[in-house]
Amino acid sequence: MKKLPLLPHVCQRIGILALVPFLALGIAHMGWDYTLPWLTYHANSKDGIDFSTNSNFTDEVAAVGIIVSLVLIAFSKEKVEDEAIQFFRLASLQWAVIVNYVVLVICILSLYGGVFFTVMTINMFTILFFFIIRFRYVLFQHNKADA
Amino acid sequence: MKNKIKIQRAIHNLTQDDLARKISVSRQTINTMEAGKYVPSTALALKMARLFEVSVEELFQLEEGE
Repeated sequence: MKKLPLLPHVCQRIGILALVPFLALGIAHMGWDYTLPWLTYHANSKDGIDFSTNSNFTDEVAAVGIIVSLVLIAFSKEKVEDEAIQFFRLASLQWAVIVNYVVLVICILSLYGGVFFTVMTINMFTILFFFIIRFRYVLFQHNKADA
Repeated sequence: MKNKIKIQRAIHNLTQDDLARKISVSRQTINTMEAGKYVPSTALALKMARLFEVSVEELFQLEEGE
């Protein structure tokens, strides 16, 4: 079977370590409007850029950090990456896409206004979350069967 | 799909770990294949058939209705 292009195994650990602070930052920002003061951009009139509505980049940093961390976790090789693992990986990805969109359709039909906006924000990350959870569960079952 | 990996492994006196090393997969994958939970690729099936010196058809058989 043709091998999938994946990141080295060490990226998985880097992703887990990076996810903790970025996720905490994202939750703090969404829940309590927490912002990091040093991420505020003070635009002046000479720049010709208007950041009057949003001049703090805490949410951008948190979102990009969470996405990069999740991608590192999701798409790095296992210690032994054989074709069965690759099959489980692709099957888990398919499962995650289906579950993600089923949940999204339910939310579209049942939530409105600000709550829906929050759901859409969270939905940026859920597909990778669902994939990682499903893939880890399938691998756990795969390894347990051997015991 | 049925397979005779376990029988061939016994004939050649190989453990799951030995076979896994010879065909470059994990021991868990051998176990999953023997249990019929995972059907290997053509390349892996050919590798096993070559190792056991049998044809792929001897190693893998379709079940009724497949």
